[in-house]
Amino acid sequence: MEYFLIFIAAIFVNNIVLSQFLGICPFLGVSKKISTAAGMGLAVTFVLTVAVIVTYALQNWVLNPYGLGYLQTIVFILVIAGLVQMLETVLKKVSPSLYQALGIFLPLITTNCCILGVSILVANATYNSQGLEPNLLTGVVYAIATSIGFALALIIFAGIREQLAKVHVPKSMEGMAIALITAGLLALAFMGFSGVDHGIAVAAGL
Amino acid sequence: MKKLQSNILNMALMLTVIAIVAAGLLAWVNNVTSGPIEEINNLAIENGIKSVILGDRDIQFTVDPPVERDGFVFHSVNDMNGNLIGTAVESTDRNGFGGALKVMVGFDPEGVILGYTVLEHSETPGLGAQADDWFRQASAEAKEQSGVADVILGAPGNPGNHNIIGLNPGNNLLTVSKDGGEVDAITASTITSRAFLRSVNAAYKAVFGYTAADGVSGASSQN
Amino acid sequence: MSYFKTIVNGIVKENPTFVLLLGMCPTLATTTSAVNGLGMGVATMFVLICSNTFISLLKNLIPDGVRIPCYIVVIASFVTILQMVMQAYVPDLYKTLGIFIPLIVVNCIILGRAEAFAAKNNVLASVCDGVGIGIGFTLALTLLGFVRELLGNGAVFGYRILPESMNMLVFVLAPGAFITLGLLMAIVNSIKNRKAE
Repeated sequence: MEYFLIFIAAIFVNNIVLSQFLGICPFLGVSKKISTAAGMGLAVTFVLTVAVIVTYALQNWVLNPYGLGYLQTIVFILVIAGLVQMLETVLKKVSPSLYQALGIFLPLITTNCCILGVSILVANATYNSQGLEPNLLTGVVYAIATSIGFALALIIFAGIREQLAKVHVPKSMEGMAIALITAGLLALAFMGFSGVDHGIAVAAGL
Repeated sequence: MKKLQSNILNMALMLTVIAIVAAGLLAWVNNVTSGPIEEINNLAIENGIKSVILGDRDIQFTVDPPVERDGFVFHSVNDMNGNLIGTAVESTDRNGFGGALKVMVGFDPEGVILGYTVLEHSETPGLGAQADDWFRQASAEAKEQSGVADVILGAPGNPGNHNIIGLNPGNNLLTVSKDGGEVDAITASTITSRAFLRSVNAAYKAVFGYTAADGVSGASSQN
Repeated sequence: MSYFKTIVNGIVKENPTFVLLLGMCPTLATTTSAVNGLGMGVATMFVLICSNTFISLLKNLIPDGVRIPCYIVVIASFVTILQMVMQAYVPDLYKTLGIFIPLIVVNCIILGRAEAFAAKNNVLASVCDGVGIGIGFTLALTLLGFVRELLGNGAVFGYRILPESMNMLVFVLAPGAFITLGLLMAIVNSIKNRKAE
């Protein structure tokens, strides 16, 4: 049940993009078409899940035991960069069709702050684990839930922007300005979910 | 100077050299700053104990060495005659808005809240962070809420009490008024408020287990 | 191009927030008040100037094939130094900005300037570029923080000037960040359009 709560909270209540402000660059940059948004969402889910497992292992089995906690940022970003590179090479060999679909997004992911951000949150155990002990399993569940939240926000936003492209906007509002205001309204809509996780927790008797 | 060629040897060499230099530099800076960082953390705990137990009172006191149990940290504060003035408890709730919320709450020997301070939080800057002041304001000073804010944010029409200082979690129901309790949540930060009150209640339960088990009362200073 | 021009260029013509549209995460997340915005801006500027300097110094020693990983190591080192120094000497600001300090590593402004400017220009010009872009970013963040704090909390740099009943809390919350930046951008665009006419 708590795992279900982690999903609800990370997807709707504390949406990574609309309420925690991680991964804004791809959110604004790769959201003009629903298909590309979905591709980006899939690529992020993939990389984030693997990155969280690797960085969690490194933090708890290498950095912390040797008192090297201060190398966290530098090690994590290198791991993520290496991981993305590796995924690209492997995908190219193993599944050319998947590579075709995700390939162009992979280089962009290294500088997607939602990957590094969530890796740090999980490694430092400063995410909302709904009362469960923060360990590798809850971390991975949180990472998957977060990336679904990311993909959801991206796809909804892309859908709105596809419609928006067809209407006439005042000249000064064109482009990023109107996109940001749209994102603001979307964030406002997502605020409506706040408290839902608490309600479910109460209903389930937690 | 000519740019280095991109052959395997050069690439591996440069990357290794840069990584080693960077790691060495970081180790040195870590060495220099770890002292002040620890000092600041200790100072925060020390000041926290003083403010949650004594408030503005200026009296001599001694603090027992901290005791850690079940995720809580206890600091017993005695006056110069060895009488227990109160116990400061560090308590963490994992269900804040952005993650963990760590508070220190001071209780007198009867369990009345003397004071509190927020040690760590990952709440919205400037909003959930208000917890540091919110729960110590008396109801007379309760803020005026505009009608519009009430409709939009669901704030109470008649702002009630949100001061917890001087209350006893054993006699007073310390949950947010939305959940039937006696304390009004921070405007638009119900989740933070719930996490805060949960950690206060947990601290109250823990402090009684602690004082009962150790017989820390009156002149005792054993740990 | 003179060094002074490089600085002004970073503040106005290539303003990272309003023109280049880079580094949006910290821009939106840390600007709940003017002071927070200012702190984040200065922190980013520090990393930007240091990384620009060193990458410009090392540009001929770094083979193209491992360019990006080397840049990332340099940037991440400075971010970690900043992290430790802030933790030791300005712990309150460090606590407020939280995870967005380590995330300066992935701020596209820094890698972008390393790639687009520092890797091609001499040290002094790269420093100036860092200063200019840094000031541009800091100004934008402070402005955004100023507007959000004024509308959301009725205060300027922490000093209350409007009664509490006039607070529009939504501006401090997430949606307010998007909407305020969108409106500021529209104002900048309209000034630009008027100049173009």
